Formats: sequence, C-alpha cells, structure tokens
Amino acid sequence: MDTSLMSSPGVMMLFGLSPILALGLGGLLLMLAEAFGRPVVAHALEAQAIGAQPAGPEGQIVDAGAGRAAELALGAAVILFAGAIFSVALWLVGPENVTATERVAPYLLIDRFSVFFSFVVCLGGGIAALLAGGYLPEHRIERGEFFPLLVFCTLGAQALAAAGDLLSLFVALETMSLGVYCLVGLRRTSVRASEAALKYFLLGSFAAALMLFGAALLYGATGRTDLAGIGEAIAGLSGDGLEGRAAQILIALALLIVGLAFKVGAVPFHMWTPDAYEGAPTPTTGFMAVAVKTAAVAVLLRVLLVVFADERLGSWGTGWPPVLATIAVLSMFIANFIAGRQESVKRMLAYSSIAHAGYVFIGVVATSRSVDAQASVLFYLLTYTVSTLGAFGALILAGRYRAEAVSYEDLAGFGRRHPAAALAFSFFLISLAGVPPTAGFFGKLYVFKAAIQGELYWLVVLGLINSVIGAYYYLKVLVFMYMREPKPGAPFATPMRSGYVATALVIAACFVLGLGILPDTALEAAVAAVLGG
Amino acid sequence: MLETYLPLFLLFVVALVIGGAMFTLGHFVGRKPLGPEQAMPYECGNDTRGGRDVKLTVKFYLTAILFVVFDIEVVFIYPWATLFKSLGWVGFATMSAFIVALGVALVYVWRKGALEWES
Amino acid sequence: MSVGAIFFAVCSVICVVGALSVVLARNPIRGAVGLLATIVGIAGLFLRLDAQFLAAIQLIVYAGAVVVLFVFVVMLLGPSAGFTSKAEARSKVSRIFAGGLMALLGALMLVLLAPKNPQKFGAAAEGHGSIEAVGGLIFTEGLPVFELVTALLIVAVIGAIAVARTQPGQRKPARVENPTLRLFHGPLLPRDAERPLSKAPAAQADPGGGMIPPTSLGKEQA
Repeated sequence: MDTSLMSSPGVMMLFGLSPILALGLGGLLLMLAEAFGRPVVAHALEAQAIGAQPAGPEGQIVDAGAGRAAELALGAAVILFAGAIFSVALWLVGPENVTATERVAPYLLIDRFSVFFSFVVCLGGGIAALLAGGYLPEHRIERGEFFPLLVFCTLGAQALAAAGDLLSLFVALETMSLGVYCLVGLRRTSVRASEAALKYFLLGSFAAALMLFGAALLYGATGRTDLAGIGEAIAGLSGDGLEGRAAQILIALALLIVGLAFKVGAVPFHMWTPDAYEGAPTPTTGFMAVAVKTAAVAVLLRVLLVVFADERLGSWGTGWPPVLATIAVLSMFIANFIAGRQESVKRMLAYSSIAHAGYVFIGVVATSRSVDAQASVLFYLLTYTVSTLGAFGALILAGRYRAEAVSYEDLAGFGRRHPAAALAFSFFLISLAGVPPTAGFFGKLYVFKAAIQGELYWLVVLGLINSVIGAYYYLKVLVFMYMREPKPGAPFATPMRSGYVATALVIAACFVLGLGILPDTALEAAVAAVLGG
Repeated sequence: MLETYLPLFLLFVVALVIGGAMFTLGHFVGRKPLGPEQAMPYECGNDTRGGRDVKLTVKFYLTAILFVVFDIEVVFIYPWATLFKSLGWVGFATMSAFIVALGVALVYVWRKGALEWES
Repeated sequence: MSVGAIFFAVCSVICVVGALSVVLARNPIRGAVGLLATIVGIAGLFLRLDAQFLAAIQLIVYAGAVVVLFVFVVMLLGPSAGFTSKAEARSKVSRIFAGGLMALLGALMLVLLAPKNPQKFGAAAEGHGSIEAVGGLIFTEGLPVFELVTALLIVAVIGAIAVARTQPGQRKPARVENPTLRLFHGPLLPRDAERPLSKAPAAQADPGGGMIPPTSLGKEQA
C-alpha cells in the first residue's frame, strides 16, 4: 500500500468512501439513463409475454424482459454489486489503514463494522434489483423510477450503518425510508399497494418523529450529537448531574428503541409489516425485509453499544437488555403463530421476517453479556439476507402476469411444473427454517451459542421452540409444492421465465450453500467487524 | 439581540391594528343587508363560479413538491454564497457536486415530462 | 419578567394553540392554518435563541412552501376530505385510547423531565445563529451530512415522480372545451365545466360564512 498513488490522502479518501460513492454516482447515471432512454412500450412487453422465447435451462439468461426495465435492472444490479465489490476491496485493505476517512468522522464512520454492513445491504439491493428486472416487466409495472430509487435507498442504508452522529443518522434514515415508501407505492393502480404505502409512510414518519425526539433529549442531556461523545458524557455522569438527567436519558433510550424497532419490524411495532409487505411489489418486499432491516439493526447495535454502553444502562437489571429480550420473545411467538395461520405465502414470509427480527434481537440482547454475540448478529443478518431474498425470488418465479403466486394453493404442484425453481424455493425455505447444511442453520447456531455464552438459557429455549414452530409453515410450502396437485379447475399460478430472477436465485443459492458449508470465512469477517473489537 | 427586531415587531403591531380596525369598523359602521353583488367574493371582476371546494388535479402536487425540493437547494446555496471566499476551492467543489447532482435531478424531472402541464 | 421571557411565552402559546387546532380542526384547511401558526411560533422561538438564519429558513421553507403544499394536498382530496361524523365507534375508541396514551406519556415526561437540577452548558458563541456561522458548520465540519442531504433531495425528486406522475399515455387528460373558461380559470375539471353555474355549491358548502348565496348571479352558461 505504499505506492505513491495510494498514499495521497485524496485518493485514499475516495477509496474509503468508494462503496458509498459508487452508489451515489451510479444512481445519478442511472437516472440519466432512465430519463434519456426510450420509453417503456407496453405492447412490446405484451408481445414478449405471449411467448416466442426460448425456454432455456435454469441459470441461463433467458430473455424474458427485454424492455427498458430489464436494462435498468441490469444497470442497477451492476452498480449495487460494484458497491459490494468496493466494500470487499476496502475490507481487504482494511478500513483502519485508510486514515484519510477520519475527516468524515464522526458523521460517517468507515470502520469494519460499516464496511461489513455496506457489503450486506449492497448484496441485498443487487439481488433485489435483479428480481425487479424480471418482476416489473412481467407484471407490467412500467416504472423505471424503481431502479434509481433502489440504488439511493441502498445508499441510505449504507450511510445509516456508517452513521456515527445523530445528524447523519437521521438524514440517512430518512433517505432510506423515503425511498422505500415510494417503492412500496409504485404500483399506483393497485388499491392495496396504495394502502400499504400510506400505512407504512404514516407509521414510519411517526416512528421517525419519536426517534428524533429521543435524539433531541439525548442532545439536551449531554450537549453532544456524536454517538461516541454522548456515550462518554453519559458514562461520566454521576451524583447531581446524573440525578437531573437519568429520566431524560432513559426516555431517550426508550424512544430510540421504539423508533428502530419499528424500522426492524419487531413486535409490538410490527403492525404495518404484513400489509406493507403484501401490498408492495415483491422485489420491494424483499428489499424491505433485508436491507432496511439490516441497516436498522446496524444502527441499533451502534446506538446501544456506543451510546448506552454504560454499565448502568447496559446491564440486565437496570438497562435495555430486558426490554429487547421482551421484544425478541414477543416477536418470535406472535409472528410465528400468526405466520402459521396465513393463507398467503407472501404474507407468511412477511410474518416470518418479523420472527427473524426476534432471533436477531436474541443476539442483540446477548451482546450485553457475550463478546461473540455481536459477530453472531452480523453473521445472522448475512445469512438471513440471502435466504429471504432467495425465497421471495422463488415466489416471483412461481407466478405470472395476472396470476401471481400468492396462496399455498397456487403453489400446488409447483414441484412438477418447474422443478428447478421449486428446488431453489425449498432450499431457501429450509435455510430460513434453520436446517443444515444451509446458511440459516449456522446463523441460528451462532446466535444461540452466543446466548448460551451469555447464560441466557431461557431465551435459547424459547428461540428453539420457535424454530420448530417456524419449520411448520416453511415445510407446509414444501408439502404443497411436492405432495399436492392443484384441485381440478382451480386457478394455479404458472411459473414465469426470467433470466434476471434466475440469476438472482443462483447468486442467492451460492451464498446460502457457501455459508452453509463453509461458514468460517464469513464468520471470521463478522468477528473482525464487531464494534470496539 | 431581540431588540434588533423591535421595528419589525412594531410593523406587525401596526399591521394588526390597521387590519383589525378595518374589520371591526366595517362590522359596526357598515350597512347591514348586503346586496348579492356586494356579498360576492371578489375575483378580478369576474363572476364567481363553481364550488369553494374544487378538486385540484394531482399535477399541482407534483409541481409543489418539486418546488419545495429546489427551494431547499436555494436554502443551502445562500449560506454558501456568503462564505464563498473563505471556503475556497473545497467549498466550490462541494457546491459544484451539489448543483450537478440536483442538476441531474432537474434534467430527470424535465425528461420525465413532470414540468409539462399537459402530457 | 424580561422582554425575552415574554416573547418566549407568546411564541410558545402560538405554537401550542396552532398545534391544537391542527389536531382538533374538522376542516383540513383550518388545520393547515393552525400549522402555519405553529411554524411561525417556532420561528419566533428560533429568534429567541439568536438563530436568525434558522428562523428565516423556517418561515421561507415551512411557512412559504410546505404549508402551501399541505393546502394543495387538501385541495387534491377535495371537499370530502374533512372529518365525517360517521367515524366508526371502533376507530373512535382506538383514537381516544392512543391519544390518551400519548397524553399520559407527555405528562409523564413533564413530571420526569421537570428540571430539578437544570443542566447548564457553556454559553453559545456570539453570533452562532448567523448565516456565516451556520454555513461554516454546514460546509466544513458537516460536509458529509450535507452530501447525504443531496441524496435525500434526489430521492425526494424521484419519489415524487414515481408516486405522483401519471405515465404518458396511461390516461388522457380531460380537456375543457370553452377556451374562455380556460383563460380565466385555468384547467377546470370537466365536471365543473358541465355543471350549471346558477347552482353554485359554494353557497351550501359555506353556511356559516354570512354570505348571501349568489344564486341570482352567474347567468351565463358554460
């Protein structure tokens, strides 16, 4: 790293910020490409949909959506994967060696923690872009705005994970959220999508306002806005100073937890989740379930472990761990029970994502007692990202225009109609259920291991019980796909063909399998990425 | 510090007093039963027509929200302009990036036809 | 009581009254005007804190642009947007419950946060609210946040188009035939163009305004 080029602070700065800059500049280019390209023509898509395309084998690019949306999807995917690759490059060099980025601290902290999350959200965003490249043309959502929005949302998620100051934290949160509200409401002709977007927007703004109030109280209590500074100031409080401010800080803590738990979609702040997830276009649902959730957990970790790390606030008796443990238990039980009773697979996946928030929160609780817990949360989020996006992708592949696969009945006989997609679907579902040799198994394993290390045995027991409940509804999909035939005359979804979706599934499957067989590399990365590690 | 705004405050007070006085005097001194011509809302000499609660088209919304966005752009440019010399080249580069980015947004809006009233 | 304290009290009262009217007003336009009052009150509070630049921005952006946007949205929704008395009992219960809960939270905070031991930070620097000081913060230290704001604004632009822009060719805009009407009234909705002018609904819509319905006026037809 001692070449003259790399020692220049300007270049190092660019390199340190390259994952974020790639998305920013790429997003602008994508906007221009979208604005200046030829408009999407509906009848061209119509002609394609009727057929006349070669039925290629799985994984091969089959030209299903050669419309504009597909080209833009490719562009967005390239940009987002470039962001992921820049993150990897930055990781290999080591963010701590790129000292030039200290100039953007504390607003953006380019540390291993944020680079790890940058990789995860870029990966999630890239896969979601590929899914959209198949989904939007198929379902005649001629909205090129989707892709620049997706890129900028991912940028917001990256910045959120890197934010080390209340100011940048809020701006990044709003950048991400605002884009996602619009992504949800993209299908304007659908009443359900509008309802979903409106619910999400109103509740999301309310949660953001609560969080902002919490942030203001923190500033009032300490006179600082940078997270590290607030943490120090809180740790330094004692005697009279503590007397006057304890209530203020506790209320701020509560408000911040509420706001972030809302973004994560954990019970009891989950009310918007099923409607928003079901009403949104499926690639958006996938993106919300992974990138938004991941970034929110990242910022939650940073807030809890940097600002409220003080032993009076971080201890089991007087601090946040019991609160988060309650949220975790509620999320797992309520979401799993309701998920089991759903008739719509998409809604089931929505509830399943709430349940997964519960598992993640077990890990977050364990950070108060176990050193490995943070790494387990990071690893879990990576495995969850690829498994969930894979599952949503397979669901997309199972349906067609005006015959989207929604219910379990739609999937009856899917294993016979489209064996490869059904196999991929099963694979992602057993990963979500946490069965070896998939990524999800190791994700759960490490979280539970960390909790055991933290002597939170009861949480582990409850988590295991819930994994079993969860397995029920994941396996129910498998039962329908392989053991049921559609009732005579019943409408069932015919699978679509799309090279983009297939590619996305292959990428996700590689990760799920890779993390399931060789979890060591990713786990080591997660261990290296922990805050204060 | 607040004393600086005393003239402004006085202006407000005077405006309120004059406005309030006109309404009050009109109420007490004016002739009570107004003719239909006088009771009409004044609209540039034209007869008023249509209901009060007219539904506007959604185009107004788009125009208004775009206005807000570019309004905020100006809000940032103003302090930059006052500090132009002291910020030097770094400031110039920063603002250039900002304006280029929002210029792209403007081009985008334009090309999308959002600035055209009738598509 | 100093001038500053009186000013603070006046502004706070304006804020609270405005906020209450936003929540309680049945007519959404009145709510928007209440919001305007709140915003002006907040601008006053900024002034009290010697943050002149913020006060000006508050007035220009919020009072000038955002409230207008609100009014537009209210007008978009049309006359039926107001509260209807037909609100379901269930929603009423849940509203009262949620409102009560928030009020309880507020009261709890008031009690808990009442300054037993007021916190004192160092005095703010002279002229900390001037344009130069704020601009200096934005463009030197806070540069990363400023660039993030760029991203936020771009998201807002794309999002507005994604949500509000009708795709060309999706829907044909309805045209009003009479060019004179267009000249004076802008693009009227076809519904209004066809409506007989002698039965102006304004009269029924505004019973409390003390106006005499202009039924005898507007004799010409569209």
